Amino acid sequence: MTVATHDGDDTRWLDAPVESGARAGFGVYLHVPFCHHRCGYCDFAVAAVGRLDDARRGDLESRYVAAVTADLARQVAATPRGLLAAVSREGAPTDGTAKGASGAGAPAGDTTGAAVGWSPGQGNAPPGVGTWDGVADAAPETWPEVTSIYIGGGTPTLLAPEQLARLVTAVRRELDVAADAEVTVEANPETASSARFGALAEVGVNRLSIGAQSFTPHVLRTLERGHGPDAPLAAVAQARAAGIADVSLDLMYGTPGESAADWESTLAQVLLADVQHVSAYALTIHEGTPFGRRVDGGLLAGVDEDRQAARFERLNQVLTAGGFEHYEVSNLARGPGARSRHNLLYWRHGHYLGVGAGAHGHLDGRRWWSQRSTPRYIHAVEQAGAAPWGVGASPLAGTEVLNLEQRAAERLLLGLRVREGIHPCDLPPISALALEDACTSGLVETACGRLRCTDRGWFLLDDAVDRLTAW
Amino acid sequence: MRPSRTTEVPPPVTYRTERIRNFCIVAHVDHGKSTLADRMLQLTELVDERNMRSQYLDKMDIERERGITIKAQTARLPYKPLGDAADEYLLNLIDTPGHVDFSYEVSRALNACEGAVLLVDAAQGMEAQTIANLYLALEADLEIIPVLNKIDLPAARPDEIAAEIAAIVGGEPEDVLRISAKTGEGVDAVMDAIVDRVPPPSGVADGPTRALIFDSNYDPYRGTLVYFRVVDGQLRAGERIHLLATGFEGEIDDLAVHAPEETPIDALGVGEVGVLSAAIKEVSQAKVGDTITLAGRGSRTVPPLPGYREPLPMVFSGLYPVDSDDFPQLRDALDKLRLNDASFSYEPETSAALGFGFRCGFLGLLHLEIVTERLDREFDIPLVTTAPSVRYRVTLEGVVDEETGEPQVIEVANPQDLPEPNRTAAIHEPTVNAMILTPTAYVGPVMQLCEGRRGTMLAMDYLTEERVELRYALPLAGIITDFFDQLKSRTRGYASLDYEVGEYLEADLVRVDLLLNGEPVDAFSSIVHRDDAYAFGKAMTEKLKDLIPRQLFDVPVQAAIGAKIIARETIKAKRKDVLAKCYGGDVSRKRKLLEKQKEGKKKMKSVGSVDVPQEAFVSALRTAAGTGD
Repeated sequence: MTVATHDGDDTRWLDAPVESGARAGFGVYLHVPFCHHRCGYCDFAVAAVGRLDDARRGDLESRYVAAVTADLARQVAATPRGLLAAVSREGAPTDGTAKGASGAGAPAGDTTGAAVGWSPGQGNAPPGVGTWDGVADAAPETWPEVTSIYIGGGTPTLLAPEQLARLVTAVRRELDVAADAEVTVEANPETASSARFGALAEVGVNRLSIGAQSFTPHVLRTLERGHGPDAPLAAVAQARAAGIADVSLDLMYGTPGESAADWESTLAQVLLADVQHVSAYALTIHEGTPFGRRVDGGLLAGVDEDRQAARFERLNQVLTAGGFEHYEVSNLARGPGARSRHNLLYWRHGHYLGVGAGAHGHLDGRRWWSQRSTPRYIHAVEQAGAAPWGVGASPLAGTEVLNLEQRAAERLLLGLRVREGIHPCDLPPISALALEDACTSGLVETACGRLRCTDRGWFLLDDAVDRLTAW
Repeated sequence: MRPSRTTEVPPPVTYRTERIRNFCIVAHVDHGKSTLADRMLQLTELVDERNMRSQYLDKMDIERERGITIKAQTARLPYKPLGDAADEYLLNLIDTPGHVDFSYEVSRALNACEGAVLLVDAAQGMEAQTIANLYLALEADLEIIPVLNKIDLPAARPDEIAAEIAAIVGGEPEDVLRISAKTGEGVDAVMDAIVDRVPPPSGVADGPTRALIFDSNYDPYRGTLVYFRVVDGQLRAGERIHLLATGFEGEIDDLAVHAPEETPIDALGVGEVGVLSAAIKEVSQAKVGDTITLAGRGSRTVPPLPGYREPLPMVFSGLYPVDSDDFPQLRDALDKLRLNDASFSYEPETSAALGFGFRCGFLGLLHLEIVTERLDREFDIPLVTTAPSVRYRVTLEGVVDEETGEPQVIEVANPQDLPEPNRTAAIHEPTVNAMILTPTAYVGPVMQLCEGRRGTMLAMDYLTEERVELRYALPLAGIITDFFDQLKSRTRGYASLDYEVGEYLEADLVRVDLLLNGEPVDAFSSIVHRDDAYAFGKAMTEKLKDLIPRQLFDVPVQAAIGAKIIARETIKAKRKDVLAKCYGGDVSRKRKLLEKQKEGKKKMKSVGSVDVPQEAFVSALRTAAGTGD
């Protein structure tokens, strides 16, 4: 069994990647937190605006869009090096309100201080992580070309078309966007219309991700979705009519009450819709959400691991037979060209800016994220005015400087989600014992020199990574 | 307390023997014993308001929190009855432990008294524990002063309960004093009754010194403090003493009385109660019930006071540190506890599943709880406590004791040590004689519970129309688990329980082992009656199935008697262990979850290549203690 040895250089997987890190591309994530209503399972940064009157809602939305464009401009103006330096410097947010609002975890100091455990048994120890200035120096002077823009939510399509367009054009104004860049907007079937999609197409949106979730009425009701089972297909047709051919459907499976037959009929509808891409997520019930409380109180059945595994298998079988390639744990595409470039960026440890409430950015082993609360986010950006990013008042809620061990764990955790796994040059060192354990447990295998999950190991990925990192 | 001490403490007054009254208060938890004691102290004006803590006499935190007394305390109450122009009297209050686990200590404390205040809550009535202690007091020939407390409560039923008391103690319901310790109403009448009715101590003032140890505790600066009552002769500061049972000899460093703060005194004579220290390193050198006499040529011929016995652990449990690195700290902590608690024993043992730990012996379940709680609270050592068990006597097949020529009998406190069935001729288990008081409405459920625990009814007496006293012979193993909780829940909290140790009886007992992936997990083995084995095995396998996380392969969970499998469950192989989504590029959260998971895994014990989380041991062992029905 052979896996990359890096010729004794333990950090080569970071320095000379084939498809990971900087090679994976550069994306911009913009978050739109507005939703008509917060669904019972949702634990993401969302602001329910369904009960606000039109005037207040319009005001909130335009202030938010202004805040996002201002925040984007400041992040871009900071330059990659300046941004990295700020993230590294920024132990905790300087703004006292930030901590309470975000609940975002440890200051970066916690992780930087712990340069532990890097002893894979060969080669020299890596440079001390806490004082690893070399990375900041290695960062480019200027921002690379943007290969993907992703506007997620929330429900981005709750925004007026001109506001959404403002977000897209802001990115084009601040950064160089590649001519073939993937520009995705998440759309809710309730808010779909040819006119709205047409307006998006005009500013260069070339991909829509439609939140279908299910084609079974009672499952939609359980999930507290406002649309009926026919709405997603109508939305797909409207997207096509608006000239956006690249459409993805978002699905959820393993919802309490969803039967095997329900799932089969949903999958059949998906094939009928004839879309390019499908994202399918196993429902996760988080603590603190209404679903979490209902499960604790015995009012809602929890998710069933075996049922979810069975649904996952059917997802794979039915859609693969229907011409899809299951290229990532939760994503399927009609051929390599239909894969989501922005999502792949995440899995390949790529670089991205994250702008908006609760959005996360990543640049070369540094992560940062903004406040989750929409009003606080807006307020912080407005307070910051024209000051440089990361200085003074800031929407920043937390930062994290990953040590080498954490970067290695992430590389595996993310890279193994992709069907073909990780290229040997992108693979962090793995102890021989750990690798043997993961292989003999039937969770991972090597194919064409790449380390990848077995069919079974894919849905047991966390266990696989746990074994692989047991050095 | 040496002469050089500068604080202005007036020397204690000395009293003639006929003006001394030694008494205790017999009461159930919550019936107001400590409040009454506090009131009595206030009446003597010895404790000013500023220093008045609620429940003055209960000194340990655990005691105060639980409202129980574990260690006996004493207080000296000078009291001048109304209308008595003569000298004041000295009332010595000897506070007794309030729990069945400590009934031997109770009996020793009672032996230091001539009278007992029987304190009963006017709303609740007599409880089994009170009656048991009352019987001990009657056995010790004490004058009983029945008192109804909490007469100010709206729910009080003084007439009814006075009749109940009279029926048990004898006498007329009208003789029962009625007080409210909370408001102080009637407390002076109790004091007067003590003076009038409790006889003064009698003893041989010029005979050889004999004093009864009724409590001892450990002080880190002075060594063991010994609480005693002089029966004959006299004890003086500086004298050399000899303890008859343990053979300890030493010089009295400090001699004092509690007034109620410790106050030095030169000498104590017949009937007096005091405390001494004599450089006694640990409490096991000054055991409750032992006799203090003066060292010297004649000391060995002094007859000991009757009733001494060695403390006898009844309930056993393995204590293991959650983190095996804590083992040395656990040993130190047990050493320290032992200094203060002669009735608790421990010896090292090892478990394949839990590592290094100790098999500890306790007087009872409360004692076990108190010790583990103190370990947690005072020493901060998280513990896994194995299911409590009792000490069995196992007669070996075909092995003859060389000295007696009888078949050899071994004692087994750890289920692991039970010999194989083919090497066992007979197993005897300890039993108890339990007394349960319950409202008549719940007699059925109580009998059902007792029979479910293999009890044999000995007697059933109606104390009144509403209250029944049930007497059962029960295997000790049947009541050391959740018996008391069950009793309470089946009687809506109204029943009360007390028991005394009975004889060893033969029983058809087997060891049920639990196997994970084919390998026995020693920590889960239990000795149960053959008739209960299947139910126990089934309950445990079901519980473990839920407690142990799914592994990469199917894991059989089996219960077995010897090689015979009696129950089986399967922990199915896990099929999903991946997070579905990472919102908005939030990878940190995902990674942190994984890091947390990894941290948790470090705390797992690997048994039969199965990773068992610590919580599974804790919860399963808790269940093991509660699957009797």
